[in-house]
Amino acid sequence: MNRIPVWLTDEKAYDTIEPLIDRDSSFSLEFLAAEARAITLRRFGRTISLYAPLYLSNFCSNGCVYCGFASDRNTPRRRLEFREVERELEMLKNMGIKDVLLLTGERNSNADFDYLRRCVDIAADIMPKVSIEAFPMSTNEYRKLVDCGCTGLTIYQETYDPEQYRLLHRWGPKQHFSERLETPERALQAGIKTVGVGVLLGLSEPVEEALKLFSHVRYLGKNYWKAGLSVSFPRIRPQTGGFQPAFPVNDHFLARMIFAFRIALPDVELVLSTRESPSFRDGMTGLGITRMSVASRTTVGGYIENAGDQNGQFEVFDGRTIEEFCEALRNKNIEPVFKNWEPVYNGPNTELNPTR
Amino acid sequence: MNELKIGTYTFTSRLILGTGKFGNIKTMVESIRRSGTQMVTVALRRFDPEQADQDLFSALSSIEGLTLMPNTSGASTAEEAVRAARISRELSGSPFIKVEIHPNPQHLMPDPIETYEACRILASEGFLVMPYVPADPVLAKRLEDVGCAPVMPLGSAIGSGQGIATSEMIRLIIRESGIPVIVDAGLRSPSEACAAMEMGCEAVLVNSAIAAAANPPEMAEAFAGAVKAGHRAREAGIMPKSGSAVATSPLTSFLGTAS
Repeated sequence: MNRIPVWLTDEKAYDTIEPLIDRDSSFSLEFLAAEARAITLRRFGRTISLYAPLYLSNFCSNGCVYCGFASDRNTPRRRLEFREVERELEMLKNMGIKDVLLLTGERNSNADFDYLRRCVDIAADIMPKVSIEAFPMSTNEYRKLVDCGCTGLTIYQETYDPEQYRLLHRWGPKQHFSERLETPERALQAGIKTVGVGVLLGLSEPVEEALKLFSHVRYLGKNYWKAGLSVSFPRIRPQTGGFQPAFPVNDHFLARMIFAFRIALPDVELVLSTRESPSFRDGMTGLGITRMSVASRTTVGGYIENAGDQNGQFEVFDGRTIEEFCEALRNKNIEPVFKNWEPVYNGPNTELNPTR
Repeated sequence: MNELKIGTYTFTSRLILGTGKFGNIKTMVESIRRSGTQMVTVALRRFDPEQADQDLFSALSSIEGLTLMPNTSGASTAEEAVRAARISRELSGSPFIKVEIHPNPQHLMPDPIETYEACRILASEGFLVMPYVPADPVLAKRLEDVGCAPVMPLGSAIGSGQGIATSEMIRLIIRESGIPVIVDAGLRSPSEACAAMEMGCEAVLVNSAIAAAANPPEMAEAFAGAVKAGHRAREAGIMPKSGSAVATSPLTSFLGTAS
């Protein structure tokens, strides 16, 4: 294994991040941070693009042990009616949000494909950029969502370790490891423009997870040349159900992982959500992260009702308002960017799918 | 000093600025002022009339004497770029459009095929088309033929700071071109902008090198000076390079003196 700093400019940097993140890496955290900062500044400038999640429904038929919305939780179940979806979106828009991520649980009769499609339709009339984080779908279904104005998909594999995956997903359609793994490709084949991947840090051995996640991103980039790629770094947060991670990830490792991804994938969007603390988010600003959620509510109907997160999918850690968060960014001379997309670019990436 | 002409428009400044990547709008505006630029490019996707404090377009339109060149960054096909150009003209009132089509959102390399097609359509609709393209001399001529106002080959990848990695191709483009050649993307330092002007570029377009500098307004002024110096040097006639010293015993003495 190559351990000299020349590695950074070497072709090998595109093949693996192992020398940067393995247990006895010779690269100091400070060195990696400086590299990550330089690359981020050059490629993305002094900006962070912001988005907000909108939970449409928390009905779910899966049994993910780490999730507050798993079907055996006593969480009150609800879905937003279309009128409410519109009101939540108008509320977000009034807050300044121009980029929204729509979330649901597993496909079920309360929140099925047609429901989600209608929600995307409504959202695309209000927001310039609409992405989804929902149940895996067929290529044909993704195509229909693209036609309604959906341009982004977020889907975390949660863990790339098939054995852990089997243990953690006790029942429901999400038990199918490989169907989930292939979901980003079905979406890209359908013309979705950006795909966000990630692992839920804490579920399995983190170095292994990071290496597999990196390989997945590289694979998608090589095979889908028009794909916009982003990587998120969610860590397990306290949630209804009280699941405790078997492989907790500390701040040092998470920072190292983010720096490594920035160095080896200099052009890929790296995302940090409100799962993380204000001090960690502020500290990581400019050091690799280019996209952040803000003022998130993880409950269904959370924006209008101004509800807390006790019934949410997980507890939000950074609960600052948009104004407070933007102020913190500006204090670091980083411009918060709300609108960074134009619906005129919503057409599908057709060349990816010649049969279309 | 003579002026830069694009279509029927003339500019005394030969430095064009990009407007992304600045840490705040105030620094961007200050950098524009200090650079003395008369033309900036702004992405349609950053137009946000509903949110005046975030809207790059309103901040820029308040600067007197500044020509806006909207760009189609975000478009991945000719069709999207054409539609974006029409919307941009509607919103900005500017006849200029920077055609920027990069289907791969990672490396942001321009698509020559889609760019050509978009330029052909937009030039026929009366736009002053400024295409951001790979440094390809044949493509440059093809774009001239369809009516582009200048052609803007890349020095190196956007935001890479690799300088003019394509210098030999750019020299060829300049040699053959009947329209202004503007190097766009990749410049890192004022000396590289100066070199581009000495080479015969009519202007340079700079964003990251200024926005990502420790002191953007100061760097903007430094670039302005370098661009002027390079252009003046070119106009003044740069001494030709000599590959080797002149031989003391001339190689052609055997020919005798010409009668």
